[in-house]
Order: sequence, then C-alpha cells, then structure tokens
Amino acid sequence: MDEKELIRRSQAGDGEAFGVLVERYKGKVFSLAYGFTRDRVAADDLAQEVFIKAYVSLSKFQAKSEFGTWLYRVAVNHIKDYLRKNKRRMKEIPLEEAGDRVLASSDLGPEEQHLREGEREIVQAALARLPEKYRVILTLRDIDGLSYEDISGILKLSPGTVDSRLHRARRKLREKLTGRLIRQGGEHGL
Amino acid sequence: MDCKKAERFLLRSLDGGLDHENRAMLQAHLENCPSCRKKDSEYRKILSLVRPQTVPEPLPYFKERLLAKLKEKDRTAPALFWVKWAHRAVALSLAAFLLFGAAILFFRPQEPREVSQTERFLLQDENPLGEAASILDQKKAEDRNMMLIFASVGDRDLSRRYRP
Repeated sequence: MDEKELIRRSQAGDGEAFGVLVERYKGKVFSLAYGFTRDRVAADDLAQEVFIKAYVSLSKFQAKSEFGTWLYRVAVNHIKDYLRKNKRRMKEIPLEEAGDRVLASSDLGPEEQHLREGEREIVQAALARLPEKYRVILTLRDIDGLSYEDISGILKLSPGTVDSRLHRARRKLREKLTGRLIRQGGEHGL
Repeated sequence: MDCKKAERFLLRSLDGGLDHENRAMLQAHLENCPSCRKKDSEYRKILSLVRPQTVPEPLPYFKERLLAKLKEKDRTAPALFWVKWAHRAVALSLAAFLLFGAAILFFRPQEPREVSQTERFLLQDENPLGEAASILDQKKAEDRNMMLIFASVGDRDLSRRYRP
C-alpha cells in the first residue's frame, strides 16, 4: 500500500495501517536509539515510545516533509529528552575506566577482538561525554550514516551548519580520545 | 596549505566531500606533514570505532507489543481526557479564587479620612492664617478668647463660629 494512504488511514485511527508503517520504520528507529544507548532493552523501550508519540501526534503531520524525516525528528527529540533525564546515569563509567573491563578479560576470544571491543567502549564513553548537539549529529552521520540533507531536514539546520557542527563534533571527540586510545590500544591505538 | 586548512579538508574527505583538486592538495600536504598524517589516521580509526559492530534487532513482537499499548491508550483515552480536564478545572478555580482575593485586597473601598481643620479651610478656599490673624487682632481679650474657644472646638460650619 502507498505510504501516503497508510498515513491517511493511520491519521483516521486505523491501527492496522499504522502497524504497516511500524514494520517499515522500526529498524531505523531502533537503530537510532541503539546508537545512543548501546543497550538493546533501553533502545527497544525508546523505539516503542517514539512510535507511540508519533501515533499521538500523527494528526500534526502535514506531509511537508517525508514521513521518515518527520519520524526521525520525533525520535531525535524523544531521545534527547531521554538523554537529558538520564545524564547522570549515562556517565557512570569514567572515561579512564572504559574499556578496562573488556581489555582485562581473558575469555572473550582472540586478542585482537578484545582490543577492538575495549577501544569501542572507550570511544562510546567519550561520545557520551560530548555536549548533546555534537552527540546527536555524530550519531546521525557517523553511526546511522544519514546524508547531510536528511540531517539538515531532521534537525532543521542549514547544510552549512550541519557541516560545521559535524566537523567540530569530530574534533571534540578526537580531543577527548587523544592519549586514551594510545595507552589502551598499543600499536593499534591512536 | 597550512595544517589548519589541511584538517578542514581532512574532515571533509571523511565524507567523500572533497573534489579532485583539493584531494590532491591534501595528499601533497599529508606526505610532508607527519602531524597531519597522524591526525588523518586518528580520525579514520575513530570513525571505524564509533559505529557499533553489529546492531541487534528490536526485542521480539515489537509491533504486537506496540499495537497493544496503542489499543490500551485508546481505551483509557476518554478517562484520561476527563482526568486532564478535572485537573485543569481545579487549577483554573484556584487561579480565579486567588485573583478574586487579590482584587478585593487591591480595590476595597477605603474609609474616608478625617481632614484636619487646616485642610478643611484650604478645601473651602479659606485662609487659616487669615482667621488666626483676625483672632489675634481682636482688641478685647474676651472676644479673642471666645473666638479661640470656637476655633479649637473645630466647628465645621464656619457660619456658626463666634464673630464679635
């Protein structure tokens, strides 16, 4: 069925039509939430809440943008709220300790994989410490791989602002990681 | 090309947004600048690490769980609607009560204040000093005393004052 028709029916309260939209977009919304949380259960909860929010405010959707872009905007705003509320909890693991758990473990498989996992954890911890606007743009671009145009539509920013903010975010992330990955990563590190 | 510009180009090149000419310029700079070469490899490494290796699937029965929640929401929506309005009504009543109280405090009628004799004279376009002068000008002590007594009694009606 045509997406416009599905949206029209969903706006009229047709749960089945909305179910088809959910099937189409659940992967993207879940993946976005997972990019922020790295926790399957939390990402699942967030994705469910995003769809509920979208269903409730579907009457406001006027097809000025693509449904996917609108849904992403709903998701990003909801996830931002979640991050603000859980700010303290998300920063529980100090950056200095991130990666130690995986690097110190001896039964996780080949050594290379250990190092890689440890490094990922360090990068994730550094990402969680970035200001929200940098974290959001890095997640949309470098984790979810969205185009500049899509990000511009979702965040309602000009492409120039997307470009400069993304570059600033990458610089900040590198600054946070300089020195840290060298120690953890050995010859594979920075 | 300086290192600052090289970093800008380098960041752009991560997205493949660098044209052929600028890419060649960046490449030439990187060949001669170990510091920027290091930066380049750091950015590329971070980019490869920032993405999760695998993204799991949502938990099972994602759609079914969601639709059940929406159904529940639709079922409880009318009740929630009235609860919401009840809350609003309480809040509005409270606000109206406070406004009414504040209005009473601010606009309550004030007791007319007793005016002094001097003020009364002034209001009636009389000169209190003139009267005092006329009393003191009296030659007879008896008249002066009587006029002083009447003036001190504070009779509002000037026509009823003692005048010799």
